[in-house]
Amino acid sequence: MTEDPSTPVVLTPDTPAPPIVAALRIAGLKKAFGDKVAVDDLDLTVPTGSFYGLVGPNGAGKTTTLSMATGLLRPDAGTIEVLGTDVWRDTVKAKSLVGVLSDGVALFDRLTGEQLVTYHGLLYGMDRETVAQRTADLLELLDLNDAGRKLVVDYSAGMTKKIALASALVHAPRLLVLDEPFESVDPVSAANIRDILAGYVRGGGTVIVSSHSMDLVQRMCDHVAVIGSGRLLAAGTTDEVRAGSTLEDRFVELVGGRQHSEGPSWLRTS
Amino acid sequence: MVAHLVRLRFRLLFNGFRRSTAVLVSAILGAVWALFVLFGLVAGMFALAFVPPQWAWTVAVLGGSVAVLGWLIVPLMLRGMDDSLSVAKLRMFPIPPQRLLVALLAVGLLGIPGIVTLLVAVSTTLSWIREPLALIAAPFAAVLGVLICVAASRAFEAVGASLSAGRRYREVMSVVVFIPLILLGPIISVAGSSIETIGDDLPRIAHVASWTPLGAAWSIPGDLALGRPLEALAKTAIALATLGVLLLLWRRSLAVLLVSPPSSSSGSKASKGLGPFAWYPGTPTGAIAARTTVYWLRDPRYGGSLIVLPVLTILAIFMAATGSEWFLVLLGPFFAAMLAITLCAEISYDGTAFASHLSSGVTGVADRTGRVITLAIMAVPLVTLATVIPLLILDHSAHIPALLGVAYGLLLTGFGVSSIASARFLMPVPAAGESPFKSPPGASFTSQLGMFAAWAIVFVLALPELVLAIVSFATGQIVFGFAALIVGVVLGAVFMVLGIRRGGALIERRGPELLTSLRRARGA
Repeated sequence: MTEDPSTPVVLTPDTPAPPIVAALRIAGLKKAFGDKVAVDDLDLTVPTGSFYGLVGPNGAGKTTTLSMATGLLRPDAGTIEVLGTDVWRDTVKAKSLVGVLSDGVALFDRLTGEQLVTYHGLLYGMDRETVAQRTADLLELLDLNDAGRKLVVDYSAGMTKKIALASALVHAPRLLVLDEPFESVDPVSAANIRDILAGYVRGGGTVIVSSHSMDLVQRMCDHVAVIGSGRLLAAGTTDEVRAGSTLEDRFVELVGGRQHSEGPSWLRTS
Repeated sequence: MVAHLVRLRFRLLFNGFRRSTAVLVSAILGAVWALFVLFGLVAGMFALAFVPPQWAWTVAVLGGSVAVLGWLIVPLMLRGMDDSLSVAKLRMFPIPPQRLLVALLAVGLLGIPGIVTLLVAVSTTLSWIREPLALIAAPFAAVLGVLICVAASRAFEAVGASLSAGRRYREVMSVVVFIPLILLGPIISVAGSSIETIGDDLPRIAHVASWTPLGAAWSIPGDLALGRPLEALAKTAIALATLGVLLLLWRRSLAVLLVSPPSSSSGSKASKGLGPFAWYPGTPTGAIAARTTVYWLRDPRYGGSLIVLPVLTILAIFMAATGSEWFLVLLGPFFAAMLAITLCAEISYDGTAFASHLSSGVTGVADRTGRVITLAIMAVPLVTLATVIPLLILDHSAHIPALLGVAYGLLLTGFGVSSIASARFLMPVPAAGESPFKSPPGASFTSQLGMFAAWAIVFVLALPELVLAIVSFATGQIVFGFAALIVGVVLGAVFMVLGIRRGGALIERRGPELLTSLRRARGA
C-alpha cells in the first residue's frame, strides 16, 4: 500500500492532466465461498490512464476480485468505485463505463463472430449504425475479418479470446478489465492486441489486465499489483514494485513457494 | 496395460459416485432396478427350457438382434454418455493400436452395460438345459454375441469420429435419432391391435434375422438343438466374419484417430451477414430476440424441446382415429401449455454466457421481453393452427372461440409465469453442445417441482377463461366462447406484462447470484 494514486506515470505528452477520480477504487473488499476466503480485505486503487497489471499465483483471488469489480459477483463487504461511480449502488451506470473480458465464462458461441460483437454492442443500447461501423473496425483490427462469418463455437482458443476482446471494446468503455487476455493467443495477435491496448491507454482509457506472464506485464504495464491469498502484497508503478530486480524474481520473492531442486534424478537423461 | 485401463475405468466410475450422495443414491436405485430386471430375464431364460426349443430359439435370436442394435444406437443418442476412456484422451500415451483395441474391448465388456449384456447372454445357456449339444455351444455363442455387440458399438463410434463429421451433423443426428424412439409408443399401440398376427410372424422374422450379422451368433445353440448342425456351422462362420470385419474396421479407424484428431471446424460454413440481427430493431430487446432466434435455429437443445409437439399431434390423430376425439379437440391448449413452459429453461440454456447480459447492464425487462418475443413469433401461429385446424376438420367450428381463448390465455399467462420462474430457479440442462436428451447429473427434485409449480400457477391464473370455455361447452352458447376469447387474451396479456416486469426486476436484483449458480452448475 505504498501506492500514490495522484501521480500516475505519464506515458505520452497528450495524456490528460491527472484527474482526481481513480478509474477503479477498491476498499476493504471481502469475499468468501463457504469457509474458503477468496478475497481478504483488499484495497486497490487504479489511477485513470494507467495500464495496470494484476499478477498473482493460481487461486490468489484475481478473477474473484475482477468479477466483483465488474458487477458479476456480489462482494461480502467493501466498496468498489469505477470512475467515482459505486458499482453496487449505481450498477447500470458503472457497467456502461466498463468493458469486460472474463476468464472461464462462456460466450454465446452459436453466433458468428460478427453477430456476437453486434449483440454486445446492441445490449449496451448503441444504435445500429454505430454498432455496424465499430464491429467492422474491430474485426479488421483484430484480424478476424474472415472468421467474422464463422460460428464462434468453431473458433480456436486464441480467436475466441480475440472475439471476446472485440465484444468488450465495442461500446468504447472508459475502463477495460481483461482477465487473462493473452492466454493461448499467438505472439503476432498478442503483439497486435498490445498495440491496441497501448493506443487505448494513450487515448485516455484505463486498462486492467490479469496475467501469469511476468515478462509481458513488466514490458506492457506501467502499474502493477501483486495479489496472494486474497491480499494485496505490493502495488505501485512497475518500477517501484520490481525495485531494481525483474518482476518475476520480485513476484516469487513476495509470493514464496519456490522450490530449489533439480527434480528427481531419473528425469536427468544424461 | 489392459488390466490397467480396466482398473482405471472402474476407478473413474467410483470416483464419479463419490462426488455427491445424490448421484450415489440414484446409482444404487438404478443398480437395484437393473438387478431386478436381470433376475427376471435369467428366470425367463430358465423357463424357456420347458417350452418347445423353437420358441427358445426365436427369443434368443430376436433378443440378441435387439441387443446388438441397442449397442449400436444407444451410444449415438447419448453422445458423451461415457467418454471417460475416449480415444481422444488416450491419444497422448504411447499405446500401439493393437493393444488399445484389446484394452478398449475389455473396458467395453466390463462396463456396466457390458456386464449386464454378458450375464443375460450367458444365461441363455439355461434355456438349453435339456439339449446337451446346445448346452455346450450356448456359452461360447453368447460370448461371441456379446463381443459383436461391443465391437459393433465401438467400431461404429470410431468410424463416425474418424469421418470427422461436423458439429452441425452430430447435433442434427442427436435429435433425429430420437424421433423413431419417441414415436415407438404410438407405433406399438397401433401394432398392438394386431399382436396376435405378429405372434405368428415372429419365427419367420427370427429366421431372417438369424442369417444377418445381427442374429447369427444367437442362433447357433438353437440350430443345434433343432437338429440343423449345418446351419449352425454357417451361422458360426457369419458371426466370426462379422466380428472380424468389425474389429478390422475399428482398428483402422482407431489408427486414423490416434494420429489425426477429428477436426471440429468442418461443421460450419460461412453464414451470410447478420441474419436475424438485421430483422429485429436495433435495441437491446431486439438484439436479445435476434440472439434467441439464432439459438432456436442452431442450438439443438431448443429445437429438441419442440419434438414433443409432433408426437402429441400424432398421438391425438391416432386417438381420434380410434374413437376418442377429446385430445385432438384440445390440441391447441396442450400446445400452448407445452410451449409457454419452455421459457423456464432459457437462462439455464445460456449458461455462463449470461454474464454478457449482466456485464452490459441491460435491463431485466429487455432481457425478458426479447426472449418472449422470439417464442411468441413461433408459438402464436403454432397454437392458432393447432387449435383451429382440428376443430375445422372435426366440424366443431363453434368451439373455436372458446378453445382459442383458453389456448391464448394459457400461452400468454405462461409467458409471464415462466419469465419469473426462469429468473427464480435454474433448470439442470445439458451444456451447449451436449446431446439435448442427456439428462445432466443432479437433475434436482426441487427444480422439477419448481416447473410443476409454474404449470399449476399458469392454470390457476387462467381459470377465468377456462371456466368460461367450460360453460360455453356445457351450454353450447357461442357467446361464452367469445367471452373466453376476450378474457383469455386480455387477462393473459396483463399477466404477461406483469410477469415480464416482475421477472425483469428479479433478474436485475439476483443477476450475480444467478451467474454464480450457473458457474457452479458447469463445475467452474
